Amino acid sequence: MFTSVQIELAKALLKIFVRDRQSMFFSLLFPLMFMMVFGLMGGGDSDPFEIGVVNNATSEVAAEFVDSLSSNNLFSVSLGDEENLKAKLVEGEITAILVLPEEFQETLDGARMEGVQIRVLVDAAQVRLLGLIMPVLEQTLLSIERHFTNTKPMFNLTIEDVQARSQRYLDFLLPGILAFTLMQICIAGSGFNIVEYRRKGILKRLFVTPIEPKDFIAAIVIARLLLCLVQLSVLLAIAVLFLGVPIVGGYLSLYTVVVLGAVVFLCIGFFLGSLAKTQQAIGVIGNIVIFPQMFLSGIFFPIERMPEFVQPVASVLPLTYVASGLREIATNGLSLMEIVPDLIGIAVWMVIGFLLATRFFVWKEVAS
Amino acid sequence: MSVIQINNLTKKYPSPDNPSEYFNAVDGVSLTIEAGEVYGLLGPNGAGKTTTLEMLEGLCDIDGGSAFVDQIDVQKNPYKVKQIIGVQLQANEYFDNLSLTELLKLFGGLYRRKVDPEALLAHVDLVEKARAKPESLSGGQKQRFSIACALVNDPKVLFLDEPTTGLDPRAKHNLWDLVRSLNETGMTIVMTTHNMEEAEILCNRIAIMDHGKLIAQGSPQELILKYAPEPPEKVLHGNLEGVFLALTGHGLRD
Repeated sequence: MFTSVQIELAKALLKIFVRDRQSMFFSLLFPLMFMMVFGLMGGGDSDPFEIGVVNNATSEVAAEFVDSLSSNNLFSVSLGDEENLKAKLVEGEITAILVLPEEFQETLDGARMEGVQIRVLVDAAQVRLLGLIMPVLEQTLLSIERHFTNTKPMFNLTIEDVQARSQRYLDFLLPGILAFTLMQICIAGSGFNIVEYRRKGILKRLFVTPIEPKDFIAAIVIARLLLCLVQLSVLLAIAVLFLGVPIVGGYLSLYTVVVLGAVVFLCIGFFLGSLAKTQQAIGVIGNIVIFPQMFLSGIFFPIERMPEFVQPVASVLPLTYVASGLREIATNGLSLMEIVPDLIGIAVWMVIGFLLATRFFVWKEVAS
Repeated sequence: MSVIQINNLTKKYPSPDNPSEYFNAVDGVSLTIEAGEVYGLLGPNGAGKTTTLEMLEGLCDIDGGSAFVDQIDVQKNPYKVKQIIGVQLQANEYFDNLSLTELLKLFGGLYRRKVDPEALLAHVDLVEKARAKPESLSGGQKQRFSIACALVNDPKVLFLDEPTTGLDPRAKHNLWDLVRSLNETGMTIVMTTHNMEEAEILCNRIAIMDHGKLIAQGSPQELILKYAPEPPEKVLHGNLEGVFLALTGHGLRD
């Protein structure tokens, strides 16, 4: 598939890239910092509070109250009798027990219940969690009470449930960070390098040897691809082993998307490297391509949360397809067959990137 | 036997003042270079020396005329030509982070050849720098290393583009010695220069170029006898400068 010349050149380039310690370091520093920050921030208290409910009442109201608690994502409710739940509480399996008294019911004439005592049993060891549970309990009680008494609340507190996702933010973020890192490494790796080699006259020097431009391109692609796989594997390993990010789908599918994405961004990089004549220019042009995608491609938050008018643009960016493909596989466990729309998007960008790169790449007259 | 034949070679470039107009950077140059000679292209900056070489090296397209290297048509078979030539360019920077030895091996690999970096470095007197990076070399060392890189494929023709520009006198003389020793092995050397002394000392024959045209050709002695304002009885060193002035009407533009 590759000629000995291409492999020879790729080996040399790989050596050059790996020995460039500074850019190796910085290419991983940024994504690692992100992962660490979000990994440590969101660590631990992602699980819902396990609470026990002892329902001594038989009324509809009581059942509704329990339903209302169960549907709250903050709580995982288990019903049972007081003795049983107490044992669980002592063992630390549940955090608190609510005991609904018999008189927990709507009076027949619709008048208000008054002074119904709900007992909260806690373990002294876990008492610090009470501060978190109590306001929510009170809020739930209040809304039920309003419901029955048919009074409208004076204030509306919209409590946004940050734990609505069953996954942690880091789990959501990781595929995006991988995709973003991939883009950065590849665009810099082809675009910035080509501008530098052209400026130094290295391209010209190479092209007075019998190698053809396609050999040079192939060599850069091989070298960057290999390095990229190693760099992303390092990030992935840290995320999985140290930060406990689950990879639900198959690694083979994941790496397939990585390789396809790398080719897309390498092509785009070659194109940008041909447009830009100086290092400064490639810096500016590179950022024009990289930064909007960083915010618009659903890396940090889903595209659906963006303003309506940017969504059509955001949803067709190359990074969007790569990030979404990786996310569907990593966090939602889909297979390649199930992410065909993303793969089509990536394929289209591959064609566009390849056409742009071959159309604009300065093949023959190598500017010094 | 001739190793290079150039016939009516022409290169058009967009005019720097008006990009829609073209001018001939190389304007109908014809010349023949014999195997085993050191041939000098002499002329001021912008005369078309480097462009002429680049067309021979397959670096830029030939817009008119023809060029053959070792009977191979450069336009038809540029990659065959590249196999048998060695090139030292004016810019002599290399990849960062590779040592001289690694770079020589890399260049050998581009010709599908296993090279002996030590022997090549010995040839250009850089053995002790084998593990050094090119950026740590002095100007003269860099030029010698460039020549070592150009030798990895045992070329029939070696192209040197202003090899001594910017070198101090000692480095310059070292490089001349190197060129002579390479020529003694039978290698044809084609070089550009705007150093009269260099052309006179080193070259068997010279072509003087100005404004893309070849205006005189011959051995330094012939040119001096023919064109020098005051032809000396016997050719001494140092007269070529006068020939150049007489022919172009100006000194070297820098």
